[in-house]
Amino acid sequence: MISDAPVLQQSSEPAESAGAASRLSRHARPVLGLLLPVILALGWELVVWSGWSNGRLVPPPSRVFATIADLARSGELLRHIAATLWRVGLGFAFGVVAGTVLGAISGYWSLARRLLDPTVQALRAIPSLAWVPLFILWLGIFETSKIALIAVGVFFPVYLGVMGAILSVDRKIVEVGRTFRLSGFAMIRRILLPAVLPAYVVSLRVGLGLGWMFVVAAELIGASEGLGYLLLDGQQLGKPAQILAAIVIFAILGKLTDWLIEVAAAPFLRWQDAFGRAKGA
Amino acid sequence: MLALDRVSKTYPNGVEALARFSAEIRQGEIIAIIGGSGCGKSTLLRAIAGLDRASSGTVTLDSEAIASPHAKIGIIFQEPRLLPWLSVADNIGFGIAELPAAERRDKVARALARVGLADKAQAWPRELSGGQAQRVAIARALVPQPEVLLLDEPFSALDAFTRRDLQDHLLDLWADTRPTLILVTHDVDEAVVLADRVLVMRPRPGRLFDQIEINLTRPRDRNSPLFENFKRSVLTSLDRSLDRNVPDRDATQGPGQAMWW
Repeated sequence: MISDAPVLQQSSEPAESAGAASRLSRHARPVLGLLLPVILALGWELVVWSGWSNGRLVPPPSRVFATIADLARSGELLRHIAATLWRVGLGFAFGVVAGTVLGAISGYWSLARRLLDPTVQALRAIPSLAWVPLFILWLGIFETSKIALIAVGVFFPVYLGVMGAILSVDRKIVEVGRTFRLSGFAMIRRILLPAVLPAYVVSLRVGLGLGWMFVVAAELIGASEGLGYLLLDGQQLGKPAQILAAIVIFAILGKLTDWLIEVAAAPFLRWQDAFGRAKGA
Repeated sequence: MLALDRVSKTYPNGVEALARFSAEIRQGEIIAIIGGSGCGKSTLLRAIAGLDRASSGTVTLDSEAIASPHAKIGIIFQEPRLLPWLSVADNIGFGIAELPAAERRDKVARALARVGLADKAQAWPRELSGGQAQRVAIARALVPQPEVLLLDEPFSALDAFTRRDLQDHLLDLWADTRPTLILVTHDVDEAVVLADRVLVMRPRPGRLFDQIEINLTRPRDRNSPLFENFKRSVLTSLDRSLDRNVPDRDATQGPGQAMWW
């Protein structure tokens, strides 16, 4: 150990300068992604400011942000965000639970897959929005039907993701479990679960994306609060700034919740030897 | 003692992979199984491991019939098959999860040191070279102290230098507890370096063709004329095993071994 020390020190110097360079580029990378939208926004701001356009149908960023600030000040923004987040959260939770359980059953037992999967695939072929009238008849026009719609949207990608992940677990790794005589439950916990986790996280993210899509659909159909209601209200009252404000907030919330899943899963996926990791993306 | 009695395997598609293979293997013996491709070497090994069931015939270890994976039988595959989500140390401790944590840690640490990877305990499998990964696989198989260790072409994916290194290392580890080793290989050199006895198989259907005792003391000198002699006799036997005009020998010892036709 002691004899190693000077060697280590020697080699750490060029490594450090290389580290500084990569640290710089690590900070530069997100900035690079912001370049295009910021230039476009500033450009449009300039166009409206200089009088080339009145910006009535396409309001400049300053007016959109002013709208957001107004909504925030009156406390309305928070109310709308809370309503939408609540619906997405609840629908996502139901969809994930159902998708995970049924996906796991279909993936693990081939008999269950033969019984269950054709039906699920047939239901999947129905455009989910086609359920809306039925859900409203069955569940009323209030929260239940909205949450059900979101849950349906989340269910399918999660179900498919879990089932596909289980079916594609490497036989060779399962055999390692068998040689160590893992029981059914231990096999699930120690081999299958960690093996499917990367694909599961991806399916959760896809599911969440669909959840955000369907909450808009649900709130456009009939709601008195929520970001989707802001969209509709903006359209009916001719307030494009309010529509854009709601869109911006959708973008922020969508990105934020997606990032939360990513961050929550990251500690469990550090082992991955993947293309994306090598690129540092 | 591991006894194989007329072990046969016919796959559902009708391919007869293994026909009435019989052998008796003493505790602590090192056996190399060699033969042309499709001679049922791996099929035989999987039957002994209890991963596949023989269509007929029996595998018994100390008079206990083997039909599913057994605690006293370990296996090392051609690929390391490490679990990518476990650190090197956790991979090695995979088979002894039922032991108390302190004892497990102790055994893992000793095994890590024994295979020369003490500094890699917390590394991920992806960070290992092919040779290091296979050493982890060997440690993982040896930590539960099996009485029989099966090796399915364990070094065939490695470069020549690493392969030699690991062969010596394997012998070194074997000397600790002297488990029975059954090694499937393509490599005549490897068979003669490691084995007390080389079983030559012939294909279609896979069956025992010849056995050659390697009466050389260890450590073996790969350059000695005696070593060369043994290599030549294994090679000759292999050549004959692939020649359709050569009849099966009936001189093989052991009960039920001959008369397969």
